[in-house]
Amino acid sequence: MPSVNVVNGKQIVVEDLGAAERAVRFLGKPFAQMWNHQDLIQAILRRELSERFKGSAAGWIWAVVAPLLAITVYSLAFTTNLKLPMADNAAGPKVGYALFIFSGIIVFNFWSEMAFRAPMLLHEYTHFIKQTIFPSDMLAVISTLRATLYTLISISVMLVFQVSVTGGLPWTVLLIPFTFIPFMAFLIGMSWFLCALGAFTRDAGYLMINIVPLFMFATPIFYPHGALPSPANFLIYINALTGYVEVMRDIVLLGKLPNPLVYLWTLFTSVFTFYFGYWFFDRYRNVIVDVI
Amino acid sequence: MSLSTSSDIVIQTRHLGKAYQLYARRSDWLKQVMLGWWKSYFKPFWVLRDIDLQVRRGESIGILGRNGCGKSTLLQVICGMTLPSHGELRVTGRIAPVLALGSTFDLELSGRENVMIGGAVLGLKRSEVLRKFSSIAEFAGIGDYMEQPVKHYSMGMRTRLAFAICAHVEAEILVVDEALAVGDVAFQRKCLDWIDNFRRSGTLLFVSHSMAEVRRLCTRAVWIEEGRIREEGDPSEVIRNYHRALMVEKDDVHRFSASG
Repeated sequence: MPSVNVVNGKQIVVEDLGAAERAVRFLGKPFAQMWNHQDLIQAILRRELSERFKGSAAGWIWAVVAPLLAITVYSLAFTTNLKLPMADNAAGPKVGYALFIFSGIIVFNFWSEMAFRAPMLLHEYTHFIKQTIFPSDMLAVISTLRATLYTLISISVMLVFQVSVTGGLPWTVLLIPFTFIPFMAFLIGMSWFLCALGAFTRDAGYLMINIVPLFMFATPIFYPHGALPSPANFLIYINALTGYVEVMRDIVLLGKLPNPLVYLWTLFTSVFTFYFGYWFFDRYRNVIVDVI
Repeated sequence: MSLSTSSDIVIQTRHLGKAYQLYARRSDWLKQVMLGWWKSYFKPFWVLRDIDLQVRRGESIGILGRNGCGKSTLLQVICGMTLPSHGELRVTGRIAPVLALGSTFDLELSGRENVMIGGAVLGLKRSEVLRKFSSIAEFAGIGDYMEQPVKHYSMGMRTRLAFAICAHVEAEILVVDEALAVGDVAFQRKCLDWIDNFRRSGTLLFVSHSMAEVRRLCTRAVWIEEGRIREEGDPSEVIRNYHRALMVEKDDVHRFSASG
C-alpha cells in the first residue's frame, strides 16, 4: 500500500517506504498535519465559534450562563439531608457534593459532545472533502478544540465557585493541563475513529445517541468509584472516562496527587486511542472520500 | 527539446491506477470496514489504469476524452483529493485546483468569510489572505455582494468569487477542469487571459471540451480513453485524431458498467 504525504500543502508524494521509516512518519504525522494546517484550523475554528451563537443577542454570555446555572441547581438540589458521599469535605457536605458532581459532569460533557458529533462530522463538511485538497483528519482536531473552549469555561466557573465557597484552591489545580491534554488526545482519537465509522454508516450516530446517556451512570459521576462493590470498583476502569474523572477530582477538589497507576492508565488510554483512531482514519481516508 | 533534469519534472506518475469500490448494498461498506482483511465486499471499478505521465515545469497539458473516461479522476488524484489504488505519484509545488468552482462555499457565510476559509483551504496564511483580499474582491467584481451570504449569489457570481480565490494562491501548478463554463463571456475571457498569463511562469493541466481553448493554451495534449492514455503529443494532431475517432465510434451506453 503506497502512502501519501502532503508536505506543507505543497508537495504530494505517494511512495513505498520501509517499515521503520513508516512507523516514524506515522507517529509524527498527526502533529505535522496540525502544524502545517494551523491557519486552516484557525479559520474553520473561528467560523465554528461564531456560528454557535449566531443570531443570539447574548452570544457568548450563554457559554458562561449554562455551567453557572448547572452548578447553582446542583447546590440547591443537594441542600437536603441526604446521606451523601464526601460528607467529610472541608466545604461542607452539600456544596462538596455539588462540586463533586459538577467536576464529573464537566469531563462527561466534554466527552459526550464529541461522541455525539463525531459520527456526523465528515457529513457536515462533505463539500470540502469532495471538492478540494482538504485535510479531513483535521476536522476531529477542530471540533475537539471547539469543545475544549466550552469545557475551559466550565472549569473556570467551577474554580471560581470553589474559591468563593472554600476560600482557596489547592496547589494541585496547577496540574490540570497534565490530565486535560491527554484527555483531549483521547477525544481526538475517538473522534477519528467515530467519524470514519460514521462516514460508512449512519448507524454509528444512532448508536452513540443510545449509548452516551448510559455512560452517565456507567461512569462514576454521581458516586465515587470506591463506593462500588469489590470487582466492580476495579472493572469500572475499563470505562476510560473513570480514570479522567478520578484524576480531575483528586487534583481539583481533594488537592492530592492522583494514584500513579490510575494516572498511567489514563495516559495509556490517551496515547492508544489517539494513535488507534488515527490509524483507523488514515487507513480508510481514501475510501471515505469515495463513499461519503 | 532542451535537456531536462529530474528537478524540472513537477508531476510524475508511474503505472498510476485508480479503482472505485462499487458496493451492491450500503451495508457492504460497513462489512468491508470490519471484515475487509478477510474478504472483500466490493467490485473494483478501474477508472484509471497504467497512467504514465511526466509533466515538466512550464508545460501546459490539455486533457481530452469523453465523459467518464477518467480525466476528472486523474485530476483529482493528481490534486491529492483521492488516493490512487495503484502506482506512484509525485507532485512538486503548490497546486490550485480550479474544479467544481463555488461548490465548496458555505452558503450561510458571507463572501468575505468564504474567502478567508477558501484561502486557508488552499494553503494561504491568514495574513496573506487579508493582504490579498482587496485584489480578490476586485478580480471577482461582485461589489457589495461580498458581504452577503453566498446563498443569495447566482451561479455566475459564485464562479467569479471561486476563481478569484484560486487566482490568488500563487500556485505553481494550476489544475482547471472545465470549470469556467458557467461565467458570462466577458468573465470567461478574463479567466482565460489570466490562465494565459499564468502559463508563462507556471504549469497548467487543463480539461476542456472546447478544442479551440486547448489549441490556444496547451503545448501538449493527452487523450484519455477508458482510463488509459490513448495518445499523447502535439495538440493539433491529437485533437485531429480525437475528432476523427468521435465521428467513427458511437456513444456506447454500456461503458459505465463494471463488468466486462
